[in-house]
Amino acid sequence: MDERIYDLIFICRPDTPEADIDKIISTLEHAVAEKQAKIEKTEKWGRKRMAYRVHKLREGFYVYMTLRTTHGELVKELERRLKVSDPVIKYLTVRLDEELKRQAKLKAHRERRAARRPRKAPAPAGGEQAVAQS
Amino acid sequence: MAEENANQQQAPAPAPAPSGPRPSGGRGPRPSGPGGPRRGRRNYVRRKKVCRFCVDKVDFIDYKKADVLGQFIQERGKILPRRMTGTCARHQRWLTVAIKRAQNIALLPFGAEI
Repeated sequence: MDERIYDLIFICRPDTPEADIDKIISTLEHAVAEKQAKIEKTEKWGRKRMAYRVHKLREGFYVYMTLRTTHGELVKELERRLKVSDPVIKYLTVRLDEELKRQAKLKAHRERRAARRPRKAPAPAGGEQAVAQS
Repeated sequence: MAEENANQQQAPAPAPAPSGPRPSGGRGPRPSGPGGPRRGRRNYVRRKKVCRFCVDKVDFIDYKKADVLGQFIQERGKILPRRMTGTCARHQRWLTVAIKRAQNIALLPFGAEI
């Protein structure tokens, strides 16, 4: 099966001690390691104001991680863990590989076109000046 | 085109009374959004709006960049239509998805501020 890339964001209560957040992250890391998947990066965005109130809270501690895996069930497992952990008030997993693939394709396409253009540009200057003037 | 339509509408106007006020009523003043041109009857100069994502050659609209996405929603959280922002169809499609994702993780509001 193809490898998939996921984004995982979760929001903790703002009053959670940093140690607890690290604990949640490490449990997720364990779960990921069990399935032979890989966490590409983990970013703590820190306390941010949320756009709307969640559980009567206006702020939340955002944690963002990217992971790649071949097991789709891993996401289910991670979401289950986030759901049962009390400090987590919100989470979101987004599958990104298809969009990244599309992005790569468009980028390659653009680069191909860009590479072709300089070769085309000198050609009219060489001989076909009529084309250039028209 | 516009004149023809106006003539066609005005021609039957004297006979049936109800259709009389319609041409003159026309479009009332609408709340002009950001970049939304004021629409007069005929005399308006509209700048051609260009898709901002096409200018920047964006291949992927990141749902995490709330500050960028925030420019494409109304005060009350609605997604701005293409005719207001000039976004091209393809980028608007990606933009909606990105905005909806951002809403889900509380980066953007769903509705009015509480």
